[in-house]
Amino acid sequence: MRYFCLSAFLLFLAACSTIDCPVQNKVAVNYAVKTIVGGVEVNDTLKDTLYVWSTRSDGDDTLIFNSGIDISSFSLPVSYTHPEDKLVFCLVDTNKVAKIDTVWIKKEDIPHFESVDCSAHFFHTLTAVRSTHEAIDTIFINNPKVNYDPSLDHIHIHFKK
Amino acid sequence: MTRLSTIFTSTSRSKRWLVVILALHLSLLSSSAQGFLKLERDTVPFFRGFAVSADLVGLAQMQLGDYGQYEAALRVNLHDQYFPILEVGVGRANHEDDEVTGITYKTSAPYFRLGVDFNIMKNKHAPNRIYAGLRYGYTSYKVDISRQTFPDPVWKWDTSYGVTDEQCSQHWAELVFGVDAKIAGPLHLGWTARYRNRLSHNDGQMGNTWYVPGYGIQDSSTLGVTFNVIIDI
Repeated sequence: MRYFCLSAFLLFLAACSTIDCPVQNKVAVNYAVKTIVGGVEVNDTLKDTLYVWSTRSDGDDTLIFNSGIDISSFSLPVSYTHPEDKLVFCLVDTNKVAKIDTVWIKKEDIPHFESVDCSAHFFHTLTAVRSTHEAIDTIFINNPKVNYDPSLDHIHIHFKK
Repeated sequence: MTRLSTIFTSTSRSKRWLVVILALHLSLLSSSAQGFLKLERDTVPFFRGFAVSADLVGLAQMQLGDYGQYEAALRVNLHDQYFPILEVGVGRANHEDDEVTGITYKTSAPYFRLGVDFNIMKNKHAPNRIYAGLRYGYTSYKVDISRQTFPDPVWKWDTSYGVTDEQCSQHWAELVFGVDAKIAGPLHLGWTARYRNRLSHNDGQMGNTWYVPGYGIQDSSTLGVTFNVIIDI
């Protein structure tokens, strides 16, 4: 019995450890390209080429989405803690004519913790979105909860025809 | 979010083996376990005294790692068959500046477990015992989670991350299988293997916690072991 107790204790000390971090750990705002047909909102495909820029803290521009064409949805990063993200959408048509819009996204930032073994992330709740209207017709929040789930359509965007 | 909980990597082969070993133990003991809930009729008195115990595994975890617990228990011996037990302890974690993620996690809080063990040996009054038991556990604890300021990966703004004194709590249940061996006089040594299951939990605004006092590491502490020094009083 004593050896049994001792062996059980040694077995415990030799036990393995585990690391449980989500494989899908990208937090991004998902945009769905939509249009209205017969009064009903349906999926649309973007025929022009989309580029998206933003401005970093040091004042330099950074390209965060490059050459999106024939897309019906796309994902853009979201800042960890800045209260409002400012994005510049550039839509280039087949004649190489560019239309530029600015999109502002207000949000609340929630620090998210999985484990000490998993990197720090933030989840977000979108509170408002607005834009200029050179190429964008309408933009609105469809689902405000931004987390690891890549299947959610957070923002619906309608481009002018 | 249901989808999220399924997308996890895990290396839990050792846990599965432990479950198999426990199941084999229980099946081998099933013949002697028949009728273990029935009070035997003999001349031995119903109340047989108390025992106090201390867990060495939690102590070793505390000394060798960055989390663990100091735990003691008071057990009542009823006819060498039933053993109502109260386990109390203080669980602590002080994981500072993780070398990979840079995250610091701190907590320190008391906890308790209340339950009963049943002696499933055929000879109930033998000096050594084999137990099967149940526990209910609860802890209310506060956590500090933080990380040194780091740059946003796209915009490069300085980002602070964390919470302080976040109030959390957890209820859980445990299935216990244990062995108690008499060494000399009132001194016993024993170990228990436990399967834990969270009944409910409040993890605060950050979505999860890591070490929970008395329970262990979230999601990976469903199996646990204690090694006890027990003194009859």
